[in-house]
Amino acid sequence: MNAATDTFAADDAAAARNRKIIIRGGQVAVAVALIWIWKIGADTAGELFVADPFKVWDRLIKIAMSGELWMHTYETLRISFIGFVIGCFFGVLMPFVLRRLPRLTDAIEPYIMASVGVPKYALIPLFILWFGIKDAPKLWLIGLLVFYPVFIAIFAGIRGVDGRLINMARVVGASETRISREVIWNALLPFFFSGLKIALPRAVSAAIIGEFLVGNKGIGYYIEHSRQQMDVTGAFTGIIVATALVLIVNSALVYIDKRVNAWRPTDRHMAV
Amino acid sequence: MSALLEVRGLAKRFATRAGREQSPWIIQGLSFSVNEGEFLTIIGPSGGGKTTLLNMIAQIDCATDGEIRFQSNVAPVNDMKSLKPGLDCQIGYVTQEDNLLPWRTCLDNVLFPLQVQGKLNDETKARAQSLIRAVGLAGWENHYPHELSGGMRKRTSLIRTLVYDPPVILMDEPFGALDAQTRLQLQDDLMRLWNLGKKTIVFITHDISEAIALGDRTIVLTRQPSAVAGEHAITIPRPRDIRGIMTHPEFIELYNRIRAQVQ
Repeated sequence: MNAATDTFAADDAAAARNRKIIIRGGQVAVAVALIWIWKIGADTAGELFVADPFKVWDRLIKIAMSGELWMHTYETLRISFIGFVIGCFFGVLMPFVLRRLPRLTDAIEPYIMASVGVPKYALIPLFILWFGIKDAPKLWLIGLLVFYPVFIAIFAGIRGVDGRLINMARVVGASETRISREVIWNALLPFFFSGLKIALPRAVSAAIIGEFLVGNKGIGYYIEHSRQQMDVTGAFTGIIVATALVLIVNSALVYIDKRVNAWRPTDRHMAV
Repeated sequence: MSALLEVRGLAKRFATRAGREQSPWIIQGLSFSVNEGEFLTIIGPSGGGKTTLLNMIAQIDCATDGEIRFQSNVAPVNDMKSLKPGLDCQIGYVTQEDNLLPWRTCLDNVLFPLQVQGKLNDETKARAQSLIRAVGLAGWENHYPHELSGGMRKRTSLIRTLVYDPPVILMDEPFGALDAQTRLQLQDDLMRLWNLGKKTIVFITHDISEAIALGDRTIVLTRQPSAVAGEHAITIPRPRDIRGIMTHPEFIELYNRIRAQVQ
């Protein structure tokens, strides 16, 4: 047995600390390696195809100072948020309405499931045709992309609620409204958050795609506009900003999920 | 003494699904009554429709035929929509599973009936606290069900029903899934609590010893379709020593008589 294993056996806390340092070091090393590969790629392919990582950094600082970055980020967040709220609202409301109408549910369920298969991005040209070139077509796209995962999660969640808990609540005198609010809603929350974890990044992606095509603001617009100007550094900067945005939104969601669903024995979802 | 709860000629079969033979009778021609303040135990073989019987009394399931009368209220027959679960909080039901709400702590689970009944005040809160102490859950109030042991969850579910003080309490093998030690402790707790308030209790079990140790009277059910196979008054004086009762001469004599009836 060598000295290193002795230390591990002797002091678990030190071992855990060591492991943490090694993992953190590894993560930094991977980041450095990725940026280095990116740099080599940029040097080999030329700046017309791959932007130089250091120039992307400079650009990021520049548009942050000029306020351009915040204006575009705000626009993307605004449109994502509104679309998300609309999609979420209907995605949560509809299963609760359908719960009270079992025959209607059975009748329309195959159609709802079939409509899941429609590629939503393919509808963008129609949305522009129908709803013009302001916020409306983007909101339709985002709303639909958010609606489906939320609807499916809540719908499955309602069907999965333990009937015995509902009976218990009825016996102790809870009204149907109270049961919906307390028993069904709480039992649903983990499902709801699973749906949100799919829906939220989708909302941001959909907003960016919408901005490629419509409007003159937003991160999507910034990326597409830069490409049209042969400004590859700008396009790469936009992608970095979009990625950061999705990561921040996601970690906020994971944090809220942990707080709200603290009663669950284990976190069944993957942490992002 | 007049009967508080009366079951007459009760019959139950579940709805037939399309393309199948008619489902068999679970319960047929079952009659018994429960007096006010009585602790009635019911023994029956597993799969004998015991839970179904309690579900029908609690009005979360519907009888196919016969009559269930509680005071002046007659439960609807073959009409799920007119059922009144728990009969306006007059019938409490401690189910076989604890059915605690996993997102509520131990204390909040106990307070749940009071909240939905709009009876949450300082007095009822104090009552909840004293029940929690009485069953040894002090210090666990703020734990979630998954952090409690099986016995603790069972106690929580028991006092969740006791806390709003329904005149009748139905209990469906509440201690069935527990180890022998915990079970004895809980039987003790239940006896103590019952002696304080003398509630009317209908207690279902498949354990003959438990039925004798707890009850004033015990009813033995037949195999499916369930009906009454025999009825025994238990006159062992109270307070009883749950742990030592097995050696009481009346216990042995009753045990053998009931044993012969349980198929």
